[in-house]
Amino acid sequence: NLMGARLAGSHGDTQEPKINPLVSISDEPETLYKRLSILVKGHDQAVLDSYEYFAVLAAKELGISVEKVDKPPKTIERFTLLKSVHIYKKHRVQYEMRTHYMCLELKYLTSSTAAVYLEYVQRNLPEGVAMEVKKTKIERIPEHIRKPVWDTLPQVEETEVKS
Amino acid sequence: RAARVRTGKGDKLVTYEQAHPPHYIGHRKGWLSLHTGNLCGEAGAAQRALEDAFLRRFLYGTFPGLLADQVVLRRRGNLLVISALLGRALPPPKLYFLLGYAETLLGHFYKCPVRLELQTVPARVPYKYL
Repeated sequence: NLMGARLAGSHGDTQEPKINPLVSISDEPETLYKRLSILVKGHDQAVLDSYEYFAVLAAKELGISVEKVDKPPKTIERFTLLKSVHIYKKHRVQYEMRTHYMCLELKYLTSSTAAVYLEYVQRNLPEGVAMEVKKTKIERIPEHIRKPVWDTLPQVEETEVKS
Repeated sequence: RAARVRTGKGDKLVTYEQAHPPHYIGHRKGWLSLHTGNLCGEAGAAQRALEDAFLRRFLYGTFPGLLADQVVLRRRGNLLVISALLGRALPPPKLYFLLGYAETLLGHFYKCPVRLELQTVPARVPYKYL
């Protein structure tokens, strides 16, 4: 029975619009990123696969276009040690450490979008096994290259060169 | 040879973790300590290894005879999460005291937030008897 129910916040027009203290609005133009490249490293391929699914889903929900998901080949660091404490040079033990990579590239972001996405994705990074290295590319043409040089120089009269 | 349990008369209880030798890590076993020190291009592997050794000895001593299996250490940023399986020899108030004691002491010692997650098990889960 909804006859006597009052919705929370519906106090009529006397209430002022609520300002969220966490959201800041500024007038300066935002820096634009052409491509945001996230490289994730880990020891376990299964963990990286699930993290890739999570990151791609988060990007789609936020409306960020994913350029490509690249999986560079794994690097294996091996070293060979002596098996015994004292002698027996012929008997050794080999250890290896495998590092799997996964590169996620997103295109055309604003700085605030990138900040939000990166914060969300970094807070949910799996423990220890995955690590992020981020590279961003900014697009901006400096003022002095905007117009070609030969248009800006004043007209020079041609002088005859007598050989 | 390393981390292999020698066969005996058939009365020795061996857990899943103890039964598998180290070449099964990544295939049948998981990692006990998760940090980024051992990845290519990352530093700090030696410090993490030392911290792990100290933490395992500290926890082995703080919960005398209660640890059912090896402790799992995970590092998320600055936070250190320790997951331990205990037996049910001590009453819960004492367990809570030991939990708070371990958390505050390790937090002051390593200058990072430490979270200890305990779970009690009635007995060690046997994988096979060797």
